[in-house]
Amino acid sequence: MHTLLVANRGEIALRVMRTAARLGIRTVAIYTDLDTTAPHVRAADEARHVSSYLDIDAVVAAAQAAGADAVHPGYGFLSERAAFARALEAAGITLVGPSADVMDAMGRKDAAREIAVAAGVPVVPRGEDAGFPVLVKAAAGGGGKGMRVVREESELEEAKAAAAREALSAFGDDTLLVEKYVERGRHIEVQVLADAHGNVVHLFERDCSTQRRHQKVLEEAPAPTITPEVRALVTGSAVALAKHVGYRNAGTVEFLLDDATGEAYFLEMNTRLQVEHPVTEAITGTDLVELQLRVADGEPLPITQHDVTATGHAIEARVYAEDSFHGFLPQAGRTSIVRWPEGVRVDHALEPEQVVSTSYDPMLGKIIVHGSDREAARRALVAALDHTAILGLTTNVGFLRALAASDEFRDATIDTAWLDRNTVPAPDDELPRVFVAWVSAMLAALEDGDQPFRSDGWRSGADPAPTIVELDRPVVVDRYAGRVDDLPVRQVYGANHTLTLEVGGELRTAVVNVQPHVAEVAYRGQRFVFERPDVFGDHAVDVGGGVITAPMPGTVLDVRVADGELVEAGQVLVVLEAMKMELSLKAPFDGTVSGLSATTGGQVALGHTLLEVEPHE
Amino acid sequence: MKELVEELRDRMAAARQGGSEAARAKHTDRGKLLVRDRVDRLLDPGSPFLELSPLAAYDMYGGGVPSAGVVTGIGRVGGREVVVVANDATVKGGTYYPMTVKKHLRAQTVAADNQLPCVYLVDSGGAFLPMQDEVFPDREHFGRIFFNQANLSARGIPQIASVMGSCTAGGAYVPAMSDETVIVRNQGTIFLGGPPLVKAATGEVVTAEELGGGDVHARTSGVVDHLAEDDAHALAIVRSIVGTLERRPAGAPYQLAPVEEPHEDPTTLYDVVPADTRTPYDVREVIRRVVDGSRFHEFKKLYGETLVTGFAHVWGHPVGIVANNGILFSESALKGAHFIELCNQRGIPLVFLQNITGFMVGKEYENGGIAKDGAKLVTAVACSVVPKFTIVIGGSFGAGNYGMCGRAYDPRFLWMWPNARISVMGGEQAASVLATVAGRPDDEEFKAPIREQYETQGSPYYSTARLWDDGIIDPADTRRVLGMGLAAAANAPTPAPSYGIFRM
Repeated sequence: MHTLLVANRGEIALRVMRTAARLGIRTVAIYTDLDTTAPHVRAADEARHVSSYLDIDAVVAAAQAAGADAVHPGYGFLSERAAFARALEAAGITLVGPSADVMDAMGRKDAAREIAVAAGVPVVPRGEDAGFPVLVKAAAGGGGKGMRVVREESELEEAKAAAAREALSAFGDDTLLVEKYVERGRHIEVQVLADAHGNVVHLFERDCSTQRRHQKVLEEAPAPTITPEVRALVTGSAVALAKHVGYRNAGTVEFLLDDATGEAYFLEMNTRLQVEHPVTEAITGTDLVELQLRVADGEPLPITQHDVTATGHAIEARVYAEDSFHGFLPQAGRTSIVRWPEGVRVDHALEPEQVVSTSYDPMLGKIIVHGSDREAARRALVAALDHTAILGLTTNVGFLRALAASDEFRDATIDTAWLDRNTVPAPDDELPRVFVAWVSAMLAALEDGDQPFRSDGWRSGADPAPTIVELDRPVVVDRYAGRVDDLPVRQVYGANHTLTLEVGGELRTAVVNVQPHVAEVAYRGQRFVFERPDVFGDHAVDVGGGVITAPMPGTVLDVRVADGELVEAGQVLVVLEAMKMELSLKAPFDGTVSGLSATTGGQVALGHTLLEVEPHE
Repeated sequence: MKELVEELRDRMAAARQGGSEAARAKHTDRGKLLVRDRVDRLLDPGSPFLELSPLAAYDMYGGGVPSAGVVTGIGRVGGREVVVVANDATVKGGTYYPMTVKKHLRAQTVAADNQLPCVYLVDSGGAFLPMQDEVFPDREHFGRIFFNQANLSARGIPQIASVMGSCTAGGAYVPAMSDETVIVRNQGTIFLGGPPLVKAATGEVVTAEELGGGDVHARTSGVVDHLAEDDAHALAIVRSIVGTLERRPAGAPYQLAPVEEPHEDPTTLYDVVPADTRTPYDVREVIRRVVDGSRFHEFKKLYGETLVTGFAHVWGHPVGIVANNGILFSESALKGAHFIELCNQRGIPLVFLQNITGFMVGKEYENGGIAKDGAKLVTAVACSVVPKFTIVIGGSFGAGNYGMCGRAYDPRFLWMWPNARISVMGGEQAASVLATVAGRPDDEEFKAPIREQYETQGSPYYSTARLWDDGIIDPADTRRVLGMGLAAAANAPTPAPSYGIFRM
């Protein structure tokens, strides 16, 4: 293998290229219009434009044009598309992955299940007689689309119809499966690796139970709760399955562990490298991409099962562009400050001043820690997330931090549905506000520093006056006396947007970016945004009285409220026609209507009182 | 000196409290900000505030009118200097005592001299009626406030008022005479006659809010232009208004040099300046602690040595410094007049460091014409067109006060150090002269009360209470205060110089 096209973008493209470069393999990137300046384009030795990462013909053509003898598909996009594997094969290019036939077989859950049964792998009881609750899901699906949990028979038909619709639109195939639904389960998956010479090894298992609506959030290896017997069962089953189908390259066999019974059921096999593969690399000391490339090149696996050992514990946290504390809404925007933690593995493709759109996967990167045991790894993860600061757009880092620091994660009691049942409380903004206020006051004092009217709060014959920082509320910062509102505050360190304050006797560090109209803080991973009101903006808002009068003489077209009615600010109360114009008279504030004198069709004189809105006290 | 500074800080801190605790609590319970909090909120975040005469009315009127019930000074709003005049309603309802009027007028003079916009934060019951004879009728009494507003406005100096409390009778004209006015709803009122007076005059029963509240004036009468919800909102509107004002047309009338701190720490002034004004010391030690880089280009160092003259920079502003280093002789007066002419020719602001017991007396000096030489100095000072700044760093006695730009010579600002003394002559000399005139040259009983009177009236606190100065300052703040004064003065252009007759 001399030239490898990486048919992907973002962190996984960079990760594959890193290993390829280390092995002396030339790398080729592909990119779309949106990604012209993306990091993976710059990281590659050569880059080819494609209309879409999903366009099989374009990607194959790019590989041919670049003289690539192999393609690494990463995850997502074309990584599990048998048609892509066939197109590459036809073009004489090696896919770093299994054969198209295996993809086909494993890509369909019903087929995969049959194979698993044949290979002696335990599977989830199936059929509408499996006993409720059951899960209705798309046979061709993944990622939670087309899935429905049904707890009573009466809901089944409707759920199947809805799931079928979703499945059809997402996968072009509305075939459904119904199977036993495990209420509380853990997601266990086994990494396998097979070569073209019939050798198959497993690299132990991962636990990806911390999920939100089937999106993995935290992943770890080894699985913290399973017994040696279950470990032997799942790893043995995974190897058996891979052997049974003649698997080649890296794959993952997923199991559902029923919390109630301790039973493990085969879920599906992913015929690609997983997002969370680094935790396996961390505990086994391997480079899975290197092994993938060697196997794809026809080399025998350089390791036997005996060589594979697990050391310590690894956890990965996925960083997404989403507002985890406000409905997990996807976020887009331009990054300003991006600080990743040092001393731990971070696979990412996020830089300062980068535009993050909603066009592609919202995952921005992964933070992977490795410790001597689970608790050491967990603490390292909390620390690493504390040292992660992404500003400019909101990410889930603060959420990850809160989760990693939670008792539930510490005690490994989070099952796959825990996040859907529980809410992680949003972090308090009190301390972040202190940081922003402190920096704002500091910046004010630095303005015009070389003239006597500099903003240091100077007062004749007295200590400097505190600085009043207007944020969402005025914050009084007395840098001289060391107070912010009523909190004693001292600055310990401040440089390059990083500020350490002693607040109430405790040291706190945050990354702060104060701009003219907005200030941002990253504290414990969470981004907080404070608007800075324009002090010279138009503050002459209408503090009108509640008396609504006719602004012109005219005819009342419509009266939309009645006496005693509660109205909201901006709600239309009366519509008036005057001078050929229709005027909507709106409530100036929330309140109650009283003294209504306007009647539809009535003539009113200029200044005639139509009604009054009495404000709520 | 340190003890004097501590005393000053203590007295200032007490004055800054404003009215009694009860009065302040009553004020804040109504949702109103205290006057200095209003000023802080008005100014840019962290803006310094060059407060004028914070100890006005000190020890006057029975001691119950701290700061004369009005806060005045210069601060920055939107990066430009403005003059603030803010009534303190916790002090006798913000009513105008004689010193209140004088302080208000002084702030308007500062605005006029330096062409600074005026912001009035009004919260006053008007004239203090028991003293109406001292606040109402004369040229420099209450009416002058509105005369000034009209004429300042005429000169293009913006007049902005925010009505944050009562504005009764004459006080109603402050907002009414302003260019642009804000009122706080359910709090500010403007009327010529309040509800009691209306009832007495016409029998009409009306509430203050109906008579002249925010809604009335913003919607019906048009007396104000903006309606605010509360103090903070009103101040935000004022800031917004200042933001709309045209920037001053010209910058500083001279090139600013890069700023450099003095090489000597200004706080070491406490050690180099003796607290007793009678102990001589070299005034250059003061200059070194005030000017940029402690650099002083001395003029005529070897001539008229009791007056030190020379050029320096303060916060990048060029200055000509005239400083006493002993009693004034003919030569020193001539040197001073020459130097002042130089500064006027070159458009360089003048700084007087005043520590003067007077001109030399005696036959030799009178016959030598010290009177006409002194007159030359006084003429030069009086006819100076460049901004002048006077700091009384020691004694200020007799004609020395005139030659060294005392209050009567219209310095832009005049500050005193806490060790300063000011009187027509020393108490001892006055007692002797009066005793001699009375034919009782050795009568200690006659002399003692005179000495005591001069002691009391020569105090800087006696001076600052009566607005003879713009405030007593910590000597270590001299550079800062002077810099702010220079920066404020640089807002106004300097006219061409011309002089009266120098008697030769």
